[in-house]
Amino acid sequence: MLRYLIIRSFQTLIAVLAVATLIFLGLQMTGDPMENLAPQDMSDAQVEELRKAYGLDKPIHIQYVRFMEKLMHGDLGISFLSGEPALKLILERFPTTFNLVMVSMLIAIVFGLPMGVAAAIRADQWVDRFLRFLSVLGISAPTFWIGIMLILIFSVNLGWLPSSGLSSWKHYLMPAFTLSLYRIALFLRMVRSTMLDVLNQDFIRTARAKGLAERVVVYKHALRNALIPFITVAGLQFGALMAGAVVTEKIFAIPGMNRLALDALYADDRPVIIAFIIVTAVLFAVVNLVVDLLYALIDPRVRYA
Amino acid sequence: MKRLWIIGAFILSVAFAGGDKLVVAYQGGAVTLDPHMRNETTTLAWQHHIFETPFFFSREGKVEPVLAESIENVDPNTWILKIRKGVKFHDGSTMTAEDVAFSITRAATHPKSQMKGYVGKVISATAVDGETVEIKTKVPDPLLPAHLDHAAIIPKAYFEKVGEEGFAKHPIGTGPYKFVEWLNADHLTLVRFEDYWGTKPDFKNVVLKNIPQGATRVAGLLSGEIDIAEKVLPQDFARVERSGRATVKQTAGTRVIYVAMDYWREYGSEGLPEGAKNPFLDPQARKAVYMAIDEEAIVKKIMGGAATVAPQFLAKIHEGYSPNITRFPYDPKAARKLLEDLGYGDKNGDGWLELPTKDGKRVPFELRIDAPNDRYLNDAQIAQAIASMLRDIGIKAEVNAVPKKVFFPNMTKGHFTLYMAGWGSMDSINTMLSMFHSKDAEGLYGRFNREHYHNPKVDALIEQAAQTFDPGDRNDLLVQAMDIAMPVDIAYIPLHYENVIAGVAKGVDFTPRPDEYLHAFEAKKK
Repeated sequence: MLRYLIIRSFQTLIAVLAVATLIFLGLQMTGDPMENLAPQDMSDAQVEELRKAYGLDKPIHIQYVRFMEKLMHGDLGISFLSGEPALKLILERFPTTFNLVMVSMLIAIVFGLPMGVAAAIRADQWVDRFLRFLSVLGISAPTFWIGIMLILIFSVNLGWLPSSGLSSWKHYLMPAFTLSLYRIALFLRMVRSTMLDVLNQDFIRTARAKGLAERVVVYKHALRNALIPFITVAGLQFGALMAGAVVTEKIFAIPGMNRLALDALYADDRPVIIAFIIVTAVLFAVVNLVVDLLYALIDPRVRYA
Repeated sequence: MKRLWIIGAFILSVAFAGGDKLVVAYQGGAVTLDPHMRNETTTLAWQHHIFETPFFFSREGKVEPVLAESIENVDPNTWILKIRKGVKFHDGSTMTAEDVAFSITRAATHPKSQMKGYVGKVISATAVDGETVEIKTKVPDPLLPAHLDHAAIIPKAYFEKVGEEGFAKHPIGTGPYKFVEWLNADHLTLVRFEDYWGTKPDFKNVVLKNIPQGATRVAGLLSGEIDIAEKVLPQDFARVERSGRATVKQTAGTRVIYVAMDYWREYGSEGLPEGAKNPFLDPQARKAVYMAIDEEAIVKKIMGGAATVAPQFLAKIHEGYSPNITRFPYDPKAARKLLEDLGYGDKNGDGWLELPTKDGKRVPFELRIDAPNDRYLNDAQIAQAIASMLRDIGIKAEVNAVPKKVFFPNMTKGHFTLYMAGWGSMDSINTMLSMFHSKDAEGLYGRFNREHYHNPKVDALIEQAAQTFDPGDRNDLLVQAMDIAMPVDIAYIPLHYENVIAGVAKGVDFTPRPDEYLHAFEAKKK
């Protein structure tokens, strides 16, 4: 087990270095950062002075070596805009995004999983049809539209919920629901179809034949087997939300890391962009590891040694 | 009965707390609270609550003393500045000439200072005595007082004690509000500075918030969470007014949206058919485009009234605004005639005007109009409207609207023939030097004159104005230059000034400034 964890950590490190290199080189192709960084009213000579102060005057390969050296020490550079360490800026906002995504995932699982099971055991009855209809709505409604509609209804017309920020439980309701809607629908559909597959298998027939209660058959035998693909998708969705909740963060003015990264992208604040992508890469690696470990927990046949 | 009392007290406390707190929503947020490191409107607007500068522009565009009492120019390169007496910093210390000299020097010389476009000519600022600062410049700068509007004054002793990073974490200035707490680019909480030297603001507690989405800002305004919302979009005006909770306030801004044309390539201009002659070298062709644009319609239909028709490049409150310039009338027939008279008429009868090519053929007058699609209010739609107006006079115009990140680098590289962009600066000398003066090899003049507009007479007038210390004479010279550049040469086609717009809650009295800085301390209780 320990050996397995060490190997995985080592793989993650390699992946991070590769990602960092790709991003560093990719950003070089987006043009001169001073176009966006330097104010219009500075003279060319003054812009060059600023370029030097930011360390952007050196040839690319020297900038790269310096960047990798610093990266090895966990230093992702200083934000051009704020003058603060880029990693600190991202990590400062990480918990906000994390909390929001956790609440959304929780809502999605609490609703999506049971609804999927319900739809599967009543396949092609009205409950199933109704749930499938809802899930189509959930999958196709754009996040942007849902967010604005929720704000109009609950903040402007009813005055029940605050429209921006994330400082109390009330603030979580609308953005978390906005993010979870698509996932509820996704989980519902996927749990339904894997459950249907499992329910048709021989061991389920055996379980029923030996007289087990239907409840036990469904929840203990069938669901457990349907959980493996579910956890894989849920893990991926978690990662995707952490790095992709940008529209929701923008609509509800939530100070999360996605919004920071978007602003950095517009302003060409490269250290912050790189820090965001590296944090995201590490996060994905961790999520995948957790998912793999969960497999072993659910399926006794899986062993990591 | 007791319960009623409690409820009553609760309602009262909420009402009073609400009445003393002002929440302002911006489209962006300050990225740093170090006042010399980022020259961008929202960052500066947030910082203005904490810091002040020796001089600042009034709403009418006049340069007024703030932390300075007076300034005198003793020789072209030397200024004597008297500081305002009895000004206190938020830590209780009194502002001295030493603080002022230190701050100006930092803004002018710090390697990462973004204020050099304003105070970069300063080579030294030294305290002569407790109240006097001597400022020396490399070259004469007649506009130095105005340029000091970007030199925020900070307390030297405190700054040296806490260092650069510590200062940005807990900044101290002389402004009407004191720093309480903030999250970078998200919000800034402030409390009124009771020892403020000037008129104390009405609201004791202020929160400045970054709410990037226009619809969310309006929602907050209508639900009562926000008292002032910046940049309400025209499509939301009616909803705000109907709500009875807030109203929309507009001021004609200083940012002009304009059309620029290629002035330097006879052949090979990239927005025209291959090999076609560039017609825009002739002022009559530029005039034709000008007269083909129905700007009143653009302001009314596309801008929803959120703009003001611009007769010229500079705005009314700018130095150098000429009272002599009016717009050419909208007259598509006359516009088409101008082009036909230049020999671009429709000879093959397909309805489109034609351009000659180098090898003597004629090709349809096709034109690519370049514009950003995420920089100015309704920018892509304006470009579309111009294209359809040009099609009406026989120019086969198509719009290429792209994100600003793509647009501006291409504009700098001169890849355009006819494009739409915007310009806003309170410094008319800077505007004239960089947009109207011909380009030079060293890049000192005409830095943003990407179309290579050039007229030696205009150049001479601008250069002379840039060296003139008397404000009245300087204004006259700029007006003379503009009277040639705009109506005669048609260096640019002005479209409109973007209005500065704010949604304001009913209990608050506030009108936005033309220079786009939104200041909570200018809000009054009603």
